Amino acid sequence: MAGDTARLAEDTFPKLLLRNAALFGDRPAMREKDLGIWQTWTWSQMLEEVRAFSLGLRALGLQAGGKVAIVGSNRPRLYWTFAAVQSLGAVPIPVYSDAVAEEMAFVLKHAEATMAVVEDQEQVDKLIGLAKRLPKLKHIIYDDDRGLKNYDHTTLHPFDDVQDSGRSLAKADAGVVAAWEKHIHEGKGSDTSVILYTSGTTGQSKGVMLTAERCVGAARDTVAFDRLTETDETLAYLPLAWVGDHYLNYAQGMVAGFCIACPEGPETVAVDLKEIGPTFYFAPPRVFEGLLTQVMIRMEDAGALKRRIFSYFMDVAKQHGEAILDGKPVPFSARLKYALGNMLVYGPLKNVLGFSRIRVAYTAGEAIGPDLFSFFRSLGINLKQLYGQTEAFLYVTAQPDGAVRADTVGLPMANVDIRIADNGEVLFKSPGMFAGYYKDKAKTKETLTKDGYVMTGDAGFFEADGQLKIIDRAKDVGKLKDGTLFAPKYIENKLKFFPDVKEAVAFGDQRDKVCVFLNIDLTSVGNWAERNNIAYASYQELANHPDVLATMEKHVRQVNADLAREPQMAGAQIARFLVLHKELDADDGELTRTQKVRRSFIAERYQPLIDALYSGAKEADITTEVTYEDGRKGKLSARVKISDVERYDVPAMKEAAE
Amino acid sequence: MFLTDPFFWEVVISGLLAGVMYSLVALGFVLIFKASGIFNFAQGVLALFAALTLVGFMDGQVPFAHVINEALGTNYHHWYETPGGGDGAPIWFVALSIAATTAVMILLAWLVVKVVLKPLVNQEGIILFMATIGLAFVLEGVGDLMWGANIKVLDIGLPSGPSDWIIDQTGMFVNKLEISAAVVAVILVVSLTLFSQYTKMGRALRAVADDHQAALSVGISLETIWWIVWSVAGIVALVAGIMWGASSGVQFSLSLIALKALPVLMLGGFTSIPGAIIGGLIIGVGEKLFEFYIGPMIGGATENWFAYVLALGFLLFRPQGLFGERIIERI
Amino acid sequence: MTLVDTLPAGQREVLLEVDNISLSFGGVKAISNISFDIRVGEIRAIIGPNGAGKTSMLNVINGFYHPQEGTITFEGVPRKRMRPHHAATHGIARTFQNIALFRGMSTLDNIMTGRGTLMKRNLLWQALWTGPAEAEEIEHREAVEKIIDFLEIQHIRKTPVGRLPYGLQKRVELGRALAAEPRLLLLDEPMAGMNREEKEDMSRFIIDVNTQFGTTIALIEHDMGVVMDLSDRVVVLDYGKKIGDGPPEEVRNNQDVIDAYLGVPHE
Repeated sequence: MAGDTARLAEDTFPKLLLRNAALFGDRPAMREKDLGIWQTWTWSQMLEEVRAFSLGLRALGLQAGGKVAIVGSNRPRLYWTFAAVQSLGAVPIPVYSDAVAEEMAFVLKHAEATMAVVEDQEQVDKLIGLAKRLPKLKHIIYDDDRGLKNYDHTTLHPFDDVQDSGRSLAKADAGVVAAWEKHIHEGKGSDTSVILYTSGTTGQSKGVMLTAERCVGAARDTVAFDRLTETDETLAYLPLAWVGDHYLNYAQGMVAGFCIACPEGPETVAVDLKEIGPTFYFAPPRVFEGLLTQVMIRMEDAGALKRRIFSYFMDVAKQHGEAILDGKPVPFSARLKYALGNMLVYGPLKNVLGFSRIRVAYTAGEAIGPDLFSFFRSLGINLKQLYGQTEAFLYVTAQPDGAVRADTVGLPMANVDIRIADNGEVLFKSPGMFAGYYKDKAKTKETLTKDGYVMTGDAGFFEADGQLKIIDRAKDVGKLKDGTLFAPKYIENKLKFFPDVKEAVAFGDQRDKVCVFLNIDLTSVGNWAERNNIAYASYQELANHPDVLATMEKHVRQVNADLAREPQMAGAQIARFLVLHKELDADDGELTRTQKVRRSFIAERYQPLIDALYSGAKEADITTEVTYEDGRKGKLSARVKISDVERYDVPAMKEAAE
Repeated sequence: MFLTDPFFWEVVISGLLAGVMYSLVALGFVLIFKASGIFNFAQGVLALFAALTLVGFMDGQVPFAHVINEALGTNYHHWYETPGGGDGAPIWFVALSIAATTAVMILLAWLVVKVVLKPLVNQEGIILFMATIGLAFVLEGVGDLMWGANIKVLDIGLPSGPSDWIIDQTGMFVNKLEISAAVVAVILVVSLTLFSQYTKMGRALRAVADDHQAALSVGISLETIWWIVWSVAGIVALVAGIMWGASSGVQFSLSLIALKALPVLMLGGFTSIPGAIIGGLIIGVGEKLFEFYIGPMIGGATENWFAYVLALGFLLFRPQGLFGERIIERI
Repeated sequence: MTLVDTLPAGQREVLLEVDNISLSFGGVKAISNISFDIRVGEIRAIIGPNGAGKTSMLNVINGFYHPQEGTITFEGVPRKRMRPHHAATHGIARTFQNIALFRGMSTLDNIMTGRGTLMKRNLLWQALWTGPAEAEEIEHREAVEKIIDFLEIQHIRKTPVGRLPYGLQKRVELGRALAAEPRLLLLDEPMAGMNREEKEDMSRFIIDVNTQFGTTIALIEHDMGVVMDLSDRVVVLDYGKKIGDGPPEEVRNNQDVIDAYLGVPHE
């Protein structure tokens, strides 16, 4: 392989593409299932496709600095578009394909895109509908021609035609290809490589500008960290416009030279996963949760013998699986049982899930339940956590093999510098750090500290072993009256990891102690009631059942015990709690549409209950207005019991000893 | 421990080999039942008829000789002498005879479809079942008239007698004929499975088994499919007839093995090919073991009823059989 | 776009002509003296209240029933008595009101059976599964994959159809009918029992089949909104008689049709 100095010369993705075609010419670069058969492109074939398209784009008038929107799902041609656009020194701008017209219009207008490369008719229709508002958009190029044959083709082009025009240019004059490659070599690492727009959930979306050398540099660090090579393989199913996909698949794929497989469609991901058997995999916690539920449902349906074998070996895995994965000492008999379990249960299970070949898997985005996390790890899947941001081009921290925990997000990546601000906010400087928000100097300034650190908006702290723990959004973190750190979401998440707790709302900022509202999970607790022959007529009745309250108290005590073990959090143990008489509901404005609790709204609405929690009363009366499913409104009155919970002593500060 | 007793294994193996025979007959039932919903009572007679015909060809018998001689006062018996004389017929002749018999079975299938099934199309299952009972009697009678009612020897040159090699190795007596029967059965099942899974015809067969109306709408002719199915069932019957005939002679009791197929079907399910195979093996092994270990305690001859009692048990606890489709009637 | 496509439906070439058809079951008249035609490239709807004889009409066109009187002319050739399975070989494919799929077979195999009439190799080749038969199978498999892609059912390619939800089964059934590359496609209530979204999907597929493949379609449908949107011409049946025939807007304003749907008693 070429020496390190030579490799570092590749500071843009098109340069990496040329390198890969030279180094791994016959190795697979991309796969896509078409008409039921996996089609493969090698790196040299991919180079040819990218070149043809790139030359075609130039013929359509794309120049250095031009902006090209990319809209659609994970299709090879859309990935090629990134490289083709970057080869000309222009900037690709991926847009979420499920974005509503309004959002799409904003991004394309803001980015001043002159061309758009889209997947199919749906996107073409959206853009044609926006044509009046996007005067700068000159050409639309589409991949799938279904339903588009009778459209006006003056500014609309099939992907094939653009490639064909590029190919005929290359054929007519051999110099064209050489000039194209020369242009790539002249590209600078400081050029903008891509602009990723953040999704507009928190206000107007912002265009995060990332430079080529920083993108490549960051990807180099993580490729080395997880020892990814050209023999690895991933399945690209995450949204194209999300930093995670652009980083994990496109950037790491280019740097490591591994193969990216594109699923046939969003519904076939599970099947494709099984057929491809990726070696590197990323999924947010809810995907893992869905998989676990699926496995459990299938086991419920299985015969008694199968179920017994499953539960026996899952116990074995729970006991020893993670230790074996981390290479810790394990008794020989346990290893033997685990090997047998692998043959009978874990192996087939991993095969069904498509996880047979996984070497490295990551999850991130939100807190993952410790049991869920352990389940997959105990099967022998090297699942780890990372913490990242669009502004960092993904990675800020990640867990190295063998140092994996469910409640932390890992050590700072190589060359990443992290600082915790006085208010607990996590600040970082990293190799992949963004160059600024596109056309928004004010916002850029707001996000950076004076000495150039990026403010993440997340609060966290370092554990004794150096791992970062994220506890909450920085703006939500408060302090008890005695000055103890109070992170409501951290406490709420711990409670919600119990399957029979549906929602939790913690209060404590500027108060003397922490109190919580709980919602029981009707399905889970209802099942329990059924098994124990407990009759109930409503949520309210079940929520008030003494046995349910006792279970809840046990859970809260457990959480307190957990909190007591963490020096920073121990002061914020839960003093009192109550189980709400109704389920929190988005229709009543208590949750957002994405099912997040609206803490301040709830505090206002249930003021009498909060007063009771803090007054020391044993129960409280409450009347709330509710919206029924048919839209009618009514009033719901209830008497709610309040329980006190034991708090644990805070152990003497350990750090002093260590 | 009886697991180490070679005698136990000898019983098991002889049970397995007898089971193969049951499976073969049951297989014929399943094929026809799946494709047309007809419970073919004549399957056993089909095996007998096939074996009789094969013997007839091998011996060069003149069909209906008895009737002709009676009516015309002639004395025809044979068209030709079996080549090879006492040393057994040469392979080419055996192959030719089997091919001729296969042709007869296919012709017979065509006749059954044209004469019996087609006029009765869209009739109740019970009526078709009765028709197959009639068919059984007709075939038995015709077979009798064509080839005569005496017990015949069928020797197509399959190896027979105990295998010396197995005796040397394990001390068990296993008949070579039974081993060849098992091998032939396996080949038959594998080729049937391949045929039904991977060919257009096989797909059409499965289609007809699933939904007649839909099959018609995609241009599948029910008559053709029935013809094919009955031909295949005839060929399976021929194989069963050869094996059974080679070990115990071709005689009319052969048609009774059809009755043994009944418990096999109850065990395996009426619609499952693997069910027919495994059901046959279970019954074969079960009855041999029962006869050998329990039989002496209760006076022997348990082989006559054991299979039926086992099937009865299954009917009580798993009426759809081991592999049959669970039938849930929606109201 | 061919010249034919630019003509209004009423002026195109006749694909199938039904002339004075009567059908009765043991003295009960299901259809009496009905005549209409289906023209190349159009979507022709057959509507009417329950028991109007719509499905019987489809079964007559399809060869499942034999009318006692009248003639059917398909592609200019008057039809003699036809066996049910011959409709498919003549280029007529259909779906059923109560889905008739091969429930034990996968989506792929179900659609493959639709290719049956187009497969040339004979039984012996099939049995031997050699050279030409294999090449042919591959060629047909490709055609089927295109249909799977067209109907967006890749994710259920290998699933036994008995396990699929209703809406998807309907789609597979359409796929099987399409696989025969029919010149006339008969759809018996393709949207029965579907929700709004499924109906929209199915309508889109029907229109795409019509415009992309140029397939002539005759369909029975209850949802009037769908009928008015989809069809070029509508024929209305009531109690086995034809009471209306013409473009949707014309039929909608026809007094007899309005009466039939509102339930005005028959004298």
